[in-house]
Amino acid sequence: MKKPLLDVRNLSKTFVARRGFMGGKSAVVHAVSDVSFSVTAGEAFGLVGESGCGKSTTGRAILRLVEPDSGTVLLKGEDVLGANPRRLRALRRQMQIVFQDPYSSLNPRRTIGQTLAEPMAVHRLGTAREIVEAVRKVLAEVGMPIDAADKYPHEFSGGQRQRIGIARALALQPELIVADEPVSALDVSIQAQILVLLRGLQQRHNLSFVLISHDLGVVRHFCSTVSVMYLGRIVERGPVPEIFDEPLHPYTRALRNASPVPDPKAKVIMAKLEGEVASALSPPSGCHFHPRCPHVMDICRQVYPSWVEVAPDRGVACHLYPAGAGAIVGEATQPLLRMT
Amino acid sequence: MSEAQHPSLVVDGLTTAFRVEGRWYDAIRDVSFSVAKNETLALVGESGCGKSITALSIMGLVPKANGRITAGRVLLDGRDLVTSLNPVLPIGFQVAEALRYHTALAGEAARARALALLEHVKIPSAARRFDDYPHQFSGGMRQRVMIAIALACSPQIILADEPTTALDVTIQAQVLALLAELKSETGMAMIFITHNLGVVASIADRVAVMYAGDLIEIAPVEELFEHPMHPYTEALLSSIPRVDRDAGDLKPIAGQVPPITAMPSGCRYADRCPLRVPRCAKMPPLVALAVDPKHRVRCWVRAAEESANA
Repeated sequence: MKKPLLDVRNLSKTFVARRGFMGGKSAVVHAVSDVSFSVTAGEAFGLVGESGCGKSTTGRAILRLVEPDSGTVLLKGEDVLGANPRRLRALRRQMQIVFQDPYSSLNPRRTIGQTLAEPMAVHRLGTAREIVEAVRKVLAEVGMPIDAADKYPHEFSGGQRQRIGIARALALQPELIVADEPVSALDVSIQAQILVLLRGLQQRHNLSFVLISHDLGVVRHFCSTVSVMYLGRIVERGPVPEIFDEPLHPYTRALRNASPVPDPKAKVIMAKLEGEVASALSPPSGCHFHPRCPHVMDICRQVYPSWVEVAPDRGVACHLYPAGAGAIVGEATQPLLRMT
Repeated sequence: MSEAQHPSLVVDGLTTAFRVEGRWYDAIRDVSFSVAKNETLALVGESGCGKSITALSIMGLVPKANGRITAGRVLLDGRDLVTSLNPVLPIGFQVAEALRYHTALAGEAARARALALLEHVKIPSAARRFDDYPHQFSGGMRQRVMIAIALACSPQIILADEPTTALDVTIQAQVLALLAELKSETGMAMIFITHNLGVVASIADRVAVMYAGDLIEIAPVEELFEHPMHPYTEALLSSIPRVDRDAGDLKPIAGQVPPITAMPSGCRYADRCPLRVPRCAKMPPLVALAVDPKHRVRCWVRAAEESANA
């Protein structure tokens, strides 16, 4: 077993939402509940789920861009959540984030060169001359011309701006990049350019990724392991081709069946998935997915299912897979795969 | 469904120009297609390809200040889905308003019909939610209300412009199911505009692919996905990461769409095209393939290969 680069244990984050007249009432949103996973060096780990499932909050909590309430985050064994401001700055050098929206995540008043040089100057990574050289290098790395350094963000297209966002994350030569929907705002042909770029960086620098996405196709292409989130919790985790070809959790299956593929012979299964995604403000009792689940049982309405390792590297939180039944994974899934 | 059968809508040689810094540029040129009753035509392409401009032109909604239709005809009888909800009016009122405006119904009759429409698009407990406001509805439910408004006047054609793009996939699947069901119940024609080829594969009978304002390929849906002819369609299909299989390496399309102010007069894809020949400096015609006349492609090279093989 390789030692993980990033180890996230029982991460939780709640937000207080003010409701009612003048914010008189308040309610607690469990954005992330008890999330655990680990990422090894050079691995691309995917977090998928629909809007509001907590995948972005998880990504931000790892970097302490939002402060988690509880849990542990270890980067190469060092405690991120307990780090003092000075240590945290050093740790953040090793983990960077790429945002979804390349339009709003770059400062419009700064040249690309200034934007890229700033983190290097903050971390005192060299003399002014060395930094200019490093900016050139990182621009070349993401396939941008060197004269881009003297231009402003508005002079670039969406795909080019995302390249610049990636260059900014690379500037400090991190070991881990949290990429939050990095291609969701882009057209398919540009999306493919960015995915190819990220894959190249991963291979050249042995970079690790936490890729956050709602697009199962992107995750299948880029990641080797994936966790599926629903209303703040991980409901299934496993290696990538298997989890999409043979999903265990009914939610993973619904997500898979609803994901459009470019093949008229494989139409979207106009799912029998009834109802809307429940609100994180008042998640359903028991298993959060039970009101929409085609296999709902009495126990699902009362008890949240415990996490069961059904195979090495493969786990699921669902009462259909009781603890101790792990060995029969293949047979157990068969009848379920034929769902309407 | 072949387009020869009673086309509900015929678009012929449609060209719409926009003014940019005092000069007029064609945003779409010479776009022609038709849609039959009980048929869904998907209009697909990336940002700026002109798919929404085509819809606006069909509806007569091109902004007059800096846009105009310079050529072409649209023959139709239909109404639109290109509308949106007013946040300060209850949703039931907005559905009834469409009825009062477009039909003879008024008062209680309009209200009753509006309620029936909301039930028809499967708004749960529609009677109780009739006086709710749009913000009390989720995205998927709001989209269903929009569909109810579009249906208020029993249209023969629905133009749906990216109706599922902002929705989560499980909700998108429900809205697509609803649209497919309405189509088979009412027999109406639908033009479905989207950038998502996966959605196209699920909902369309025929597909028209647009690139930089030109309609470059049109074919029945299975034919288009199995035998894409235009190099752009081909490249687009191999740049999609797929969830259903390991497609190997993605092949991105190098470069980007030229800006509207610097469009080549010939084939607009030529700059990015691996098959480019000198002839591409002239605009290619949309040619029907000898093997399948329902499949038409706008490419000098591919049309020539095809006629040589036939």
